[in-house]
Amino acid sequence: MNITLLYGTETGNAEMLAEDIQSELESGHEVDCQNLEDFDPGDFDRDAFYLLVCSTYGDGELPASAQPFAEAMAAAAPDLSGVHFAIFGLGDSEYDETFNQGSGKLAELLVSYGATQLGERIVHDASGDDLAEDLAFPWAEAAVAIAAEKLSEAA
Amino acid sequence: MTAQIAIVGAGPSGCYLAQALLKAQPDLQVDVIDKLPVPYGLVRYGVAPDHQGTKGVIRQFARLFERQGARFIGNLAVNEQISLDDLRAAYDAVVLAAGLPGDRSLGIPGEDLAGVHASGQLTQAINEHPEAADLPRLGKHPVIMGNGNVAIDLLRLLAKTPEELEGSDAGPGVSAWLAASGIESLQIIGRSQAGQAKFDPVMVKELGKLAGVTIRVEGAGDSDDPEAAKKLAALAVIDGHGTGRRLVTFRFGLTPVALEGRDRVETAVFRTADGGEERISCTAFLTAIGFRAEGALERDALVAGAEDAEGGKLDDGLYATGWFRRGPRGTIPENRADAQALAKTILAEIPAEGSGKPGRAILEGLPDLVSYEGWQRIDAAETAAAPEGRCRVKISTRARMLALSKASEELR
Repeated sequence: MNITLLYGTETGNAEMLAEDIQSELESGHEVDCQNLEDFDPGDFDRDAFYLLVCSTYGDGELPASAQPFAEAMAAAAPDLSGVHFAIFGLGDSEYDETFNQGSGKLAELLVSYGATQLGERIVHDASGDDLAEDLAFPWAEAAVAIAAEKLSEAA
Repeated sequence: MTAQIAIVGAGPSGCYLAQALLKAQPDLQVDVIDKLPVPYGLVRYGVAPDHQGTKGVIRQFARLFERQGARFIGNLAVNEQISLDDLRAAYDAVVLAAGLPGDRSLGIPGEDLAGVHASGQLTQAINEHPEAADLPRLGKHPVIMGNGNVAIDLLRLLAKTPEELEGSDAGPGVSAWLAASGIESLQIIGRSQAGQAKFDPVMVKELGKLAGVTIRVEGAGDSDDPEAAKKLAALAVIDGHGTGRRLVTFRFGLTPVALEGRDRVETAVFRTADGGEERISCTAFLTAIGFRAEGALERDALVAGAEDAEGGKLDDGLYATGWFRRGPRGTIPENRADAQALAKTILAEIPAEGSGKPGRAILEGLPDLVSYEGWQRIDAAETAAAPEGRCRVKISTRARMLALSKASEELR
């Protein structure tokens, strides 16, 4: 399966995690990894599967590198029906009111243009005891398994 | 051969720069030098002990040394053990990322009274920096002067109950000091009006989780400006929070003009926005009003004579990033953006194959340098000794750090 990892990052933690997920998946799949700020919303491909990793910044906002993407989406208003994605969030429960809102907003954005989210949005808490990759690797494997089924149905 | 780059300062700005350089050109030789035996600068010694989530960037920086090939050279003070000129002669590029370690002063009478403390010094003491002063006596009614995130950090820590420090890296001395503080009131005072305060709204909203306080916000006013409105909204959220016995009061539009007291500060005198005078009693006066250059690097002269200060180029082969470049403003991610931009500049200006300079060979023979492996031994000792409810206990003296860094495998 062609997998594209897209990350929205502010301090670089989401970028590091996305690269780790890429290495983890690469043995079995073609995996491309891109910063959301470098990704053109016109390039979404129905035959690929999108794994998103996104942090939260400021007052529950999208992180810096996801903001140009959100603007590009608004400008292009692409039809994303038939596009499948799964999303993983990074947050910090010290800021409980806005905890992980960035990944939530990104998921809503894609869905609002017709994309389909597969699986639950899993979130990592920087103030918790888990390492992000301990949650993210099983999430990625599970999401890819669901996607394999979905994409073969569609084909 | 490959180009050799020395980065002075192993805080977030220096580490992000090394990361960006090595990502673009993995075979570069990048040495990250710090005057302390331990890396990570303000992430270790400036970010509050109860904000462990923010310290998560350290995992990226560890990877820089463990996988990307950057080398850490700790316990080396530039312009003390080695001159900046010698360093520049040895490396293709030298980047100053040493931050601004000095506290700005108020410049008003009474500032030297006992009980007046600057936030940088106090933050170092709270974070067990090896050169920190002792933790001061604050009395029942400290006042915090300043409206930035540092002021909010101080306020939050001083307002916390011992239970609220669970999971932090606050050491036993600091924990006991906070638990025994006996603080009854905390006033936080800004020169400007609330809408112009420098804090991030999210930092203010976090105060609404505090268990042992009652919060009041006086005279915040209103504003049509969207940035100001966000700050005012955050203040409105916490105004009236809690019924705890510590009274936290936010006040605005008060410019300090004098501090008075016999043996120690007793009264802070302010000019009000309408030109009047207001006197506030206090048992300690904590200033969180910004930072300035200090130490041996002569930042002000370097920046004044810079070829392109805005772009981070001070001179041929000499660059600056982070707070050292643009002054004490901006958060960790802003310093990341700064570092990524500077990395591009540097890589465009220096020859990729280097010019055959000696690089770190000139450091050989300097005593007591600490390698990354040395830091890992210190780190292991700190995390292994963490008491219940804490994630680490910091080694707080340079001598002990050096002893640990040199400990051989079998002595561990």
